[in-house]
Amino acid sequence: MEKLTELVARVLNIDKNIIDDNSSPETVPEWDSLNGIVLVIELEKNFNVKFTMDEVMAVQNFSDIKKALKKHSVRDEVIE
Amino acid sequence: MQEAKVSFSDYLHQSKSLKKNNSMQEVKIAFLSNFTINGLPEILKTKLHQEEIWVDYYNAPYNQYIQEIINNHSGLYRSSPDLIFLLLDVEKFLGDFFHFPYRYNLDQRKMFVKGKIEEIENFLIILQERSKAKIVINDFVVPAYSSRGIIESKQEWGLTESIYKINESLRNTCMNNNRLFTFPLNSFCSHHNPHPLAEPKIAYLTDMKISSDGLIGLASEYTSYVYPLISKSKKCLVLDLDNTLWGGIISEEGLAGIKLGPEKEGKSFLDFQSLILELFERGVILAINSKNNYEDAIEVIRNHKYMLLREDHFACIKINWQDKANNIKEISKELDIGLDSIVFLDDDKTNRALIRELIPEVAVIDLPEDVSLYPLVIKNLKFFNLFNITKEDAERGKMYVDQKKRSVFKLSVDDLDSFIKKLEIKVLVRLADESTLNRITQLTQKTNQFNLTTKRYKDEDIYELFRADHYLVESVMVADKFGDYGTTGVVIIKKDLVEKCWNIDTFLLSCRILGKNIEFALMKDIIEKAKIAGMKSIKGIFIPTKKNKPAENFFEDCGFITAKNQNEAREYIFDLSKEFKKEVLVEMKEWKN
Repeated sequence: MEKLTELVARVLNIDKNIIDDNSSPETVPEWDSLNGIVLVIELEKNFNVKFTMDEVMAVQNFSDIKKALKKHSVRDEVIE
Repeated sequence: MQEAKVSFSDYLHQSKSLKKNNSMQEVKIAFLSNFTINGLPEILKTKLHQEEIWVDYYNAPYNQYIQEIINNHSGLYRSSPDLIFLLLDVEKFLGDFFHFPYRYNLDQRKMFVKGKIEEIENFLIILQERSKAKIVINDFVVPAYSSRGIIESKQEWGLTESIYKINESLRNTCMNNNRLFTFPLNSFCSHHNPHPLAEPKIAYLTDMKISSDGLIGLASEYTSYVYPLISKSKKCLVLDLDNTLWGGIISEEGLAGIKLGPEKEGKSFLDFQSLILELFERGVILAINSKNNYEDAIEVIRNHKYMLLREDHFACIKINWQDKANNIKEISKELDIGLDSIVFLDDDKTNRALIRELIPEVAVIDLPEDVSLYPLVIKNLKFFNLFNITKEDAERGKMYVDQKKRSVFKLSVDDLDSFIKKLEIKVLVRLADESTLNRITQLTQKTNQFNLTTKRYKDEDIYELFRADHYLVESVMVADKFGDYGTTGVVIIKKDLVEKCWNIDTFLLSCRILGKNIEFALMKDIIEKAKIAGMKSIKGIFIPTKKNKPAENFFEDCGFITAKNQNEAREYIFDLSKEFKKEVLVEMKEWKN
């Protein structure tokens, strides 16, 4: 299982060190609408979860992704 | 082509960092759609890059396929594509009818569907007029749900039947048209694994109708159209034996011990062979490359009850203890085909790695650990696709087997002229017509070596030429006592009645009939025909390319005199008051259309 930060960095093709809780489509230019949806697809595959449409819509930034994963009981050590 | 698992986002990133190099062939591809297909062009570009093909793509703006088709100056036409993919979502295409088909009565439904068919045919007509591209239209995905439930299947021109009818008419439209192809998206969606339709939340949020895995699979399918477009289709399948054509190792398990037959694991190998045999029957050349005792292995091929592939299906058999890379090089030499037209199948990882390392031009296919998946490997091969299978294509596999017999015969005759005479070659010259059109075009596209002018023509060009009065277009068929070579030569003459001169526009012979005196018989035939037509001279031009050295002295050998040298090209003239002196060793006949 890939760690969250690494996965996001890979999908957005950015350095993982620039990712923090406030990272969002506004602050990260690579986070466009296509990559946003690719992120959903790859998060679901990697963590073996299925988000609802509402959960996807609720994600505004990186910390929201963490919340959504916690809600699906994904282990803390792969999220942090 | 190693199929490591590459994710959707990997493809997106890779596509951005690809570099073009000089040896790559280029192709321009446009995508038109009424839903989001982002990622598809990028994946296709990345996959083809691995095959040394450079793709410039144009992905039309979201849901603007109609504007793009209708507007003469759209980005689509400006991108001057070689290939256009048109993908339409059935729900959007049918609109209200998709959700409420039974608000309409039977006659209204018929009218509506016919109107939709006309609409799409009209788009295809415009696309053909305004571009030179081959056009691939995806058929429509038939939904499983209907408000009518179990009696949907009994509805005349119901939703399901209507979509099938649209798909059928698309098939018919494309059937006899060289430029139109239907891609069976409906059947792709029912068979592809993982499931290719986007899950609902993705579809609602992004209007993607096909999932990321589906787009990856679809891009693989689409590569099939690109190889023949740039004449990169492969010709020959080189096969290992033990654990590839049968289960087990013959030298250890013996004829009765290996797995091949109508049941269980044996059936997987039997199916695998039957798919390969089918490829042979449509023209793929087969060869064997196996590390084995020759006697053990040939015994299976000759005598195993369930073996489908026999000695006569293989144009070249290498069963020895040499390394496999050497064997492949020899196969390429003996069959006179390029290493880049060879596909290699072997269950052994080390052998595959060896070939990838030593002969990167060869396409090496991974066989899975699980032998039940072997047949799928053949079904997923895209390399052998052709836009149309001419008679010559279909018989190529067999022709190369005939060639093997000729070579044995050649060894027993020492002098070349008597060898040619003993082959009993017959050359048949035939005026071009619609039935030989595809093959003539194909020869002008593909012939490199014995080609005096290397002019490449499309079907439409040849069609115009053979209908024009001042052109003579002939195809040349060749046979000898070992078999038929099919149509393997083309002559195109432009007649100048004022100067009383015939100009040789094209004179080409496929490399498999070279060295048999046929070119001289053909030139003699042209000279005689020109004399009968009251001409005074024949003019020829030799345009040198990297590959046509074998033809460079041909005009001199035929008694032509150099007229002038212009840049690279050399012009020649033959005075028809003179005789053709070269001895002709083959029999020449005229075909009456």
